[in-house]
Amino acid sequence: MSLDILNQEPFRFLLSFGAILFLVLNLAAVFTMAERKVSAYIHLRFGPNRVGPRGLLQPAADVFKLFSKENLAPSRADIWVFLAAPIAMFLPAALVWLVVPFAPNAVIADLNVAIVFFIAMTSIGALGLIMAGYGSRSNFSLLGALRGAAQMISYEVPLILSLLGVIMLSGSLSLVDVVNAQAGGFWHWYFLPQLPMFVVFYIAGLAEARRVPFDLPEGESEIVGGFMVEYSGMTWGLIQAAEFASMGLISAITVTLFFGGWQPPFEFLDLGNFNWVWFGFKTALLVFTFQWVRWSVPRLRMDQLMDLGWKILVPACLIWLFVTAGAMLLFPSVF
Amino acid sequence: MLSEGRRTEEVTPGNRLSGRLATPDIRDEFGLETLDMNMGPQHPAMHGLLRLILELDGETVVRCDPVMGYLHRSKEKISENRMYPAVIPITDRIDYMNNMAMEYGYCLAVEKLLDVELPPRADALRALMNEFSRIMSHIPSIGFLMLELGAFTPILYAFRERERIQGIMEAVTGARMMFHYIRIGGVKADLPEGMPEKMWKYIEGLEQRFDNDFVDLIEGNEIFRARTRGVGKIAPEKAVEMGLTGVPLRCTGVEFDVRKHYPYGWYKNLDFDVVTDDAGDVEASYRCRIGEIRQSIRMIKQILENLPEGEVMGDTGRRLRPKEGDGIGRVESARGEYAVHVVSDGSDTPYRVHYRTPCMVNMQLLTEIVPGHYLPDIMAIMGLIDPVSGAWDK
Repeated sequence: MSLDILNQEPFRFLLSFGAILFLVLNLAAVFTMAERKVSAYIHLRFGPNRVGPRGLLQPAADVFKLFSKENLAPSRADIWVFLAAPIAMFLPAALVWLVVPFAPNAVIADLNVAIVFFIAMTSIGALGLIMAGYGSRSNFSLLGALRGAAQMISYEVPLILSLLGVIMLSGSLSLVDVVNAQAGGFWHWYFLPQLPMFVVFYIAGLAEARRVPFDLPEGESEIVGGFMVEYSGMTWGLIQAAEFASMGLISAITVTLFFGGWQPPFEFLDLGNFNWVWFGFKTALLVFTFQWVRWSVPRLRMDQLMDLGWKILVPACLIWLFVTAGAMLLFPSVF
Repeated sequence: MLSEGRRTEEVTPGNRLSGRLATPDIRDEFGLETLDMNMGPQHPAMHGLLRLILELDGETVVRCDPVMGYLHRSKEKISENRMYPAVIPITDRIDYMNNMAMEYGYCLAVEKLLDVELPPRADALRALMNEFSRIMSHIPSIGFLMLELGAFTPILYAFRERERIQGIMEAVTGARMMFHYIRIGGVKADLPEGMPEKMWKYIEGLEQRFDNDFVDLIEGNEIFRARTRGVGKIAPEKAVEMGLTGVPLRCTGVEFDVRKHYPYGWYKNLDFDVVTDDAGDVEASYRCRIGEIRQSIRMIKQILENLPEGEVMGDTGRRLRPKEGDGIGRVESARGEYAVHVVSDGSDTPYRVHYRTPCMVNMQLLTEIVPGHYLPDIMAIMGLIDPVSGAWDK
């Protein structure tokens, strides 16, 4: 009786938003740790192993350090834009988690336009990046922001196009419906009929999350951090959290769209309400591949990035879109 | 320091992308401006302390002016105030990635002034350690190139190998970096007991690991090829005209190696090839370095197979007072031809010492080649030249 009040509108919204913030911030910490450990094993190092048991408390120590540092801003910076940018980057990455179905009955907002919401929010993330680069008023930041703007707007196109196949097959823009349409074993998952689309989505997702080989806005070796070169302390920490959150988000959306979300690979492995274990497992696996790529390949150049996006990914998407549409027209009984 | 003459609106013709630059009249018409950017001296990819003044048109570099001198330590002047043997540790610190060649050049120059006969074992040990030093410099060079292209992993594999060679060097010379091993008239010490077998074992292991860790990881990568092929292309005539030596020259197809064409010490007895490549771009320089490491391995095996017995130090007398005159020592360092000119006035300190470091000369490439390339290509071209801060500033 007393708990019913939590299910009513303002409380429900606040609670779920708090839960999402909690989840995303913790995810960022876990991913930092995972990133450092994965990179360490690829490099034949040990990675952090001093703070806490097996170094597991390292993220806590990092966050404590970041909070205790001074937030410096360049004297010429556009201070409001400069300070608002990390928030503008972090919030969209956190908000999309509201529409991600974690388990059969665990979705905070079952929007009927969830996919459109996802696209809109990732676009707003690019705005935060431009604000960061422009507000710092440094040449390095400005170059990073320009690169970031060009990259994220260009890769939005293949990202959206590669979603269309899934939307056509499931006939819905709601992520819950997409997951339900993939029920009944892994051969019903969309990554099989939509393999080219999945590959494009994965690559465009890497670019949207600004991971190597698409970390040009950061450009460690030439523009030394790019748009975030002037940030320090927790503003920098928030940008990092946004990056890790968006990496987790891209993985979660990929899993939802192409790998059946929380659906188990075989029906007899159904865990009921505990199917979030499957969701978590698949997402973690994808995040691992992101990190694997991150530590294995060099960075692309700006012109090569544009070539890849416009000359390979977009045509590949369009071709497979027509193949899907044709197949659906010719064999309506299969779909 | 800035050449005022080039600060005009004239676009330096790039070798590859010049068509993509906005010409001055287009800039005037649309009110476009170029962006002046200052890169370095504190910059993670600048191989030490180099400042580049760049003029950017979007991502394209219009002008690139390197400003050197941030690591100037007056090596030549200090050398004039020290006794002959005491200069060797100074030379160690010139090219701190390939110290052995730096010592070798100076000792060769002074030995020309002295009448000293080197025992054959000393010569062989010099060549042996020199080749180890070259591997120790080339492997991280490849790692740095990859680091600057954005891949972090190869550098750590590279430093693992460097670390192992440093272990060998430490056992032989007593130091991990600043060896002070080659002395005027010989070398500091003979190999410790069991060292030739250890070296042999290491070299054989290196050949295998080299193929697995480096060649497979780097060469097969599509992005690596895309980032390096055709980048920083140098014509052979231009390379000769600029006086380039070392890998930047050899990757254009010009066959020049001091060890082969002006052989010194034990290199007269060794059988090795000069590795060249035709492409003259960053990828070619990478292939040249890989080839040179293989040649070094080959040379080390040859030296270890017929290592002569005997003393390691010739008789130079207690106090060195070379006769009046001058001597030049030319060696092939990992970065190109390194020459030392020593002028003696008959006293126990040199009258004048000049170090001709290859980095200083090869650095001309930056002004010549970079305009017309994209900003990240600068880092790839730095990987081609592979300069060392200590060597261009001295």
